[in-house]
Amino acid sequence: METCFDVKNIDLFYGEKQALKNVNMEIYKNCVTAFIGPSGCGKSTFIRCLNRMNDLIEGCKVEGEIIKDGLDIYSPKQDIVDLRTRVGMVFQKPNPFPMSIYDNIAYGPRCQGLKDKKKLDEIVMTSLKQVALYDEVHDRLGESAIGLSGGQQQRLCIARCIAMSPEVILMDEPTSALDPISTSKIEDLCLELKKDYTIVIVTHNMQQAARISDYTAFFLMGEVVEMDKTDTIFSHPSDKRTENYITGRFG
Amino acid sequence: MLIDKKRVKRNKALDKFFRGFFMAMAILSSSFIVIIVLFVCAKGISPFLPGYEYGQVDLISFLTGSIYRQDQGLYGVGFIIINTLISAFIALLISFPLSVLTALFIAKIAPKKLSAAMQSVVELLAAVPSVVYGVFASGVITGIVEWLASLFGIVTYGGSSLLAVVLLLAIMIFPTLTSMSITAIKAVDPNLEQASLALGATRTQTNFKICLTAAKSGIFAGAILGLGRAYGEATAVAMVAGNKLFGPTFNPFDITRTLTSTMLAGLKETTGLDYDIRFSVGLVLIVVIFFSNWILNIVKKRIGRNSVA
Repeated sequence: METCFDVKNIDLFYGEKQALKNVNMEIYKNCVTAFIGPSGCGKSTFIRCLNRMNDLIEGCKVEGEIIKDGLDIYSPKQDIVDLRTRVGMVFQKPNPFPMSIYDNIAYGPRCQGLKDKKKLDEIVMTSLKQVALYDEVHDRLGESAIGLSGGQQQRLCIARCIAMSPEVILMDEPTSALDPISTSKIEDLCLELKKDYTIVIVTHNMQQAARISDYTAFFLMGEVVEMDKTDTIFSHPSDKRTENYITGRFG
Repeated sequence: MLIDKKRVKRNKALDKFFRGFFMAMAILSSSFIVIIVLFVCAKGISPFLPGYEYGQVDLISFLTGSIYRQDQGLYGVGFIIINTLISAFIALLISFPLSVLTALFIAKIAPKKLSAAMQSVVELLAAVPSVVYGVFASGVITGIVEWLASLFGIVTYGGSSLLAVVLLLAIMIFPTLTSMSITAIKAVDPNLEQASLALGATRTQTNFKICLTAAKSGIFAGAILGLGRAYGEATAVAMVAGNKLFGPTFNPFDITRTLTSTMLAGLKETTGLDYDIRFSVGLVLIVVIFFSNWILNIVKKRIGRNSVA
């Protein structure tokens, strides 16, 4: 299996406070990799390392290497804009832009200078189809995205991300603000999307990780306690702490 | 029992009392506005009614007239309305881009310390009394206008001109517009910016396409407030307007006359019709502001449909 990210000895500090301690892992292409763990364990912090969203936080310092396609994404040679077009992100709270549905999806390509109306039309249509939103909204693409339901908004955000044809989609608790039906739609979507994309998902919900992921990493207090195939993690965890967590003894 | 029945009763009574008290305050303050408008109306309408003691004035010629001369008893404010609209709108046109870009810089781009310092400067500017702007305008802006006019070979009335009024108003509405824009831009959900950056947009693209778009409703509210100030500013404007007797004025180097400067000039040295007619002018000003706010609010609703702030 091909490696997408090779993470080596990542330490992350918020000022004086160390939030990640010596994180090592490999993330494979065309797989769903889930990060689980209790609140404040560093899983969201870590996923934000993968597209350097932590750069936006003042006083945040990252040490170590994350190799993608032979280049450390934290090296000065890495262009951040280029990285973020290849590694897309979906956030916890659906955050559509206050514009039309069409403009939301066309936003990324337009920022890269794409003006061709035909191409944009095609990108918008295929992206919406991929997230199974096209049939629901095709007759109101010009209307504000704010008017969509929460679940639709989140699928729109995924479509917006797909419109950039990224290699990786990072999802930071994408269903925590959604109802069960919308959640299951997003989960189905993840399974569908992994054919074309590498998916990394942070989740609070262990059943969700078990349902959709191929690999699972268990985070605790800034460290990766254990990472393995999802089946193995949930049936034969090698670390006592993992077992305690997934059997609900804490967290 | 933790609940003391006496205390519950007292709290209820206190609640009732304060509700009444606050309502009385609200009624008192809003009745002031009503009283002022009613008074201006009564006084302002009187010259147009038959049997007015100084001789009835024709309403149509008052509203459409293009000469305003006390000495000849000619009172036409049509051209003054146009002058007022022109000076306020051009001032807004100049101030708007400057203010919005300044606000964007302060809210998003400047380092924290600089941003805080610049914001207090803007707030300070808003607190400067208008008469101080007035002396600045008559001391500095008129000089600049005079020099500028001389480049075109034009002699001005000591720099008093439409251009001076416009520049003065542009400076005066700048703090209002800027601080409203800062508030609106800062209110934009940081999640939207993150989403934009995560899509590979640059900082500049994010600032213009997301922050300004999301804040446009609040920015527009600032523009409405600023325009209101530009219409209503009297003291400083009167110091550089020149109070032309006829018009309208389209030449930027020519003197002009606005509704406010008309009301103010010589108010204390006059009686009779010339005194009363100023209330009519005030009434016209109220109507002009009311209408332009109404129109701008319709526009605001249209452009603000997709806005969050």
